[in-house]
Amino acid sequence: MSILKSILTAIRGGASEVGEAVIDANAVRILEQEIRDAEDAIGKAKQSLTNLKASEIKLKRELNSVRNDISDYESKAIRALESNNETLAGEVAERIAEFEVDASEKDSEHQNLNMQVNKINSMIRQREKTIQKNRRELEKIKTVEQLQKATSSMSTNFAATNATEHRVSKALDRVKKKQAKWEDRMEAGEWMAEEGQGDELDKKLKAAGIGGASSSSGASVLERLKQKQAVQ
Amino acid sequence: MSLSELAFKLNDHVTDEGTSFDAVLSEEGVLEVVCSSNDEFPINVVRTETQLLAITPLFDVKEVQTDKLSELNEQLLFMSPAIPLSSIGREGSTYILFGSMALNTVFDNIVHELEVQAENTLEVLLVVEPLLV
Repeated sequence: MSILKSILTAIRGGASEVGEAVIDANAVRILEQEIRDAEDAIGKAKQSLTNLKASEIKLKRELNSVRNDISDYESKAIRALESNNETLAGEVAERIAEFEVDASEKDSEHQNLNMQVNKINSMIRQREKTIQKNRRELEKIKTVEQLQKATSSMSTNFAATNATEHRVSKALDRVKKKQAKWEDRMEAGEWMAEEGQGDELDKKLKAAGIGGASSSSGASVLERLKQKQAVQ
Repeated sequence: MSLSELAFKLNDHVTDEGTSFDAVLSEEGVLEVVCSSNDEFPINVVRTETQLLAITPLFDVKEVQTDKLSELNEQLLFMSPAIPLSSIGREGSTYILFGSMALNTVFDNIVHELEVQAENTLEVLLVVEPLLV
């Protein structure tokens, strides 16, 4: 059964009660041990594979060397035939025949070794995939464990108090009030900043000799009254 | 980044929007993070071998009006894909909002995830509030 299915079955079976583990802790330990053992085995298999591959490479080199010798002696035999020295050509041919037997044996051995290397290599890859899959399964279990841990405080709280009446509504109200207060403060801050900018502007206008109210003074009022009197 | 290191950095951080954090690491290895923009629903951060999980417990199944449970579940299923960076689920009898991050997530992105999750929590709860007791 897949881990997810086991988890769901366990939850449906009531294993999600406070403090109760969804997956048996022993099962987790066994899975962890299995992963470690498989990794050790793969490490050893890789070491053997390295040795086997080294032998295969060595054999291949030897085989190539024998084939070169055959080729070399073949051309020597032809040269002997060309010089009508059939006796010497016959001796060379016998040497070539020995080399060919040797090459055939080495070739067969090399093919077997090559097959073994490929087989072990593919087994290792297969095992590595299984380990990765097991690791993912383990991660699912650990995630559920962590989830339980992260929500257990709330579950314990509910189990102990059972005080659920309008809890969310009340909490949301409190958040809304705090947010409104915060927005009010922001607005007030902006207003203050704008006011500050307004003062600055008035100062600049006054400095430039622009702005009615700011240029009012006792002398100017007296002047205005005198003008009024003159008109009357 | 370890959870204790994350706690240390969060407690010392204020975002451009003025959000600050109050992070406390429990003995059980749960980092409780309270966002100043939503201090009623803390985010619990835990760590596995491959990821950081940020979990906000929303409400218990007991808090749902008994005849509204199916409607609530349906609403949450519809809503979940539309919520940025967070998903909705249930752990035991507790409905949760959660997000996951790779262990190598940089601090700024963790902060962003936590801020968004705090906002998402309020949005989800505002939608389902009428179905709760």
